[in-house]
Amino acid sequence: MTDLHFLTIAEASRLIAARKLSPVELVDTYLERIAALDDQLQSFVTLTADRARKEARVAEAEIVAKGPRSRMHGIPYCLKDIYETAGIRTTAQSKLLADNVPARDSTCQQRLDAAGGVLLGKNATWEFAHGGPSWDVLFPPARNPWNTEHSPAGSSSGSGAAIAAGFAPATLGSDTGGSIRGPAAACGIAGLKPTYGLVSRRGVLPNCFSHDHAGPLAWTAEDVAILMQIIAGHDPEDPGSLDVPVPDFVAALTGEVKGLVIGVPWQWLEKEIPLSPATRASFDAALEVFRDLGATVRPVSLPPLLQFDDVKRTIAVVELFTIHGKDLRTRPEMFGSSLRYRIIAGGLVRAEEYMQAVRHRTVLARAMQEAMATVDVVMLPTAEPAGRLESLPPESLFTRPSFTTAFNVGGNPALSVCCGFAENGLPFSLQIAGRVLDDATVLRVGDAYEKATSWRNRRPDLVAKSTA
Amino acid sequence: MADASPTPEEVALLARHAGLELPAEYLRQLVSAYGHVRRMIDRLPLERSRDDEPAHTFDPRRFVP
Repeated sequence: MTDLHFLTIAEASRLIAARKLSPVELVDTYLERIAALDDQLQSFVTLTADRARKEARVAEAEIVAKGPRSRMHGIPYCLKDIYETAGIRTTAQSKLLADNVPARDSTCQQRLDAAGGVLLGKNATWEFAHGGPSWDVLFPPARNPWNTEHSPAGSSSGSGAAIAAGFAPATLGSDTGGSIRGPAAACGIAGLKPTYGLVSRRGVLPNCFSHDHAGPLAWTAEDVAILMQIIAGHDPEDPGSLDVPVPDFVAALTGEVKGLVIGVPWQWLEKEIPLSPATRASFDAALEVFRDLGATVRPVSLPPLLQFDDVKRTIAVVELFTIHGKDLRTRPEMFGSSLRYRIIAGGLVRAEEYMQAVRHRTVLARAMQEAMATVDVVMLPTAEPAGRLESLPPESLFTRPSFTTAFNVGGNPALSVCCGFAENGLPFSLQIAGRVLDDATVLRVGDAYEKATSWRNRRPDLVAKSTA
Repeated sequence: MADASPTPEEVALLARHAGLELPAEYLRQLVSAYGHVRRMIDRLPLERSRDDEPAHTFDPRRFVP
């Protein structure tokens, strides 16, 4: 049998339902593993061990008495440290919130708690999910479990690292320009940026209101679907929340992709941000898997990547300044240098310029949806394999192009799954983007790919440091 | 169109108008960051019709208790 700490949500929930696995045993397994290994990764900034053991005992008693009330009943999970948790410190990795203890849970935490999940703790992030990696903020940055000298990407960095390391089977992150999919890619796991408005952001500390998405990360697309079933759905307390029916994401995982039409934005991959030969080879191999499964691959034309990046970053720098302006004016030294650099110019942008960026977003979103209407999904790599963990030039946020941001601008669902490993052992990634509110198809395609390949059988080989 | 390379003096003036009284180190960071932001803004297409509605149209139904 798989080591307990490497069980997926799907596997663990089946064992729990069959009374073959105790939630208490499962929680203790994760807590022991975190205690032994997380000094190498720093993926958690707060552990809620006592609470987790208590919740596990309650879950066990409930399941023995009445059976599980959801696939997450008795399953441990963690949260990026921007999700507010009542009575538990929520810092956003920032000195500004070092003592911030919310009085109320975020909507997502409420839903996971109601489903019977067991909260293990809070994951490291980049400061306010935007500035990093940083060594001058409240906690050090998380590291990549495939190679601790490398970055887990950001900003859901601790979330990605914790899942890949087997510290938890489930976590939630946030994605404003790629912050779920980037860490999922770097850490070789699955991460979904849902359709904008499908998952509530109420109680999630904001990065940029108009592009923020809350969403799940887990080892497999199937587990991501299980989490989406819990957290998706209308929330009147989130002004951006969509009041739409929630599909059965798990039932949609048929494994079937025959007849699927896949669009590839070759102009992005060959002209705008040319792929490295190794990443191109892994992407070509992934497309071949889909052809073998009966899918069709064709080019799709989208506006230039740079336009998506310019629009999002212009809007973001203003919205970020709106959120942090008071602190920037009165105590700028409390920010890490990376975040301060990335947001301080937002106060100098004219209202007209912000509005022009918002208007151009409409043009880009329309072009995205028109292109999406010609295919079932769009595929491309999420990112190149993770680089070394080191300070990035602060201007990189403004100058480094991204394969992920376009789907934040469009609001489309986009999933990252692992599609192999580089010679240095770091994961390759495949991004699957879909039509608005067609998250179920994106998950079906990702799940089918994972089940047609063997990449889910490989795990990082973390070894506890000797204390002798 | 604004200059893509604003001078430090111009940035300092804009910063004061924005209520930012920054030490020299942070002002240097702002000059650098604002240069990048200006280049982004200057690349945005600006030719729009007068009635081109921005994306975040206000929906009053969202605020009904």
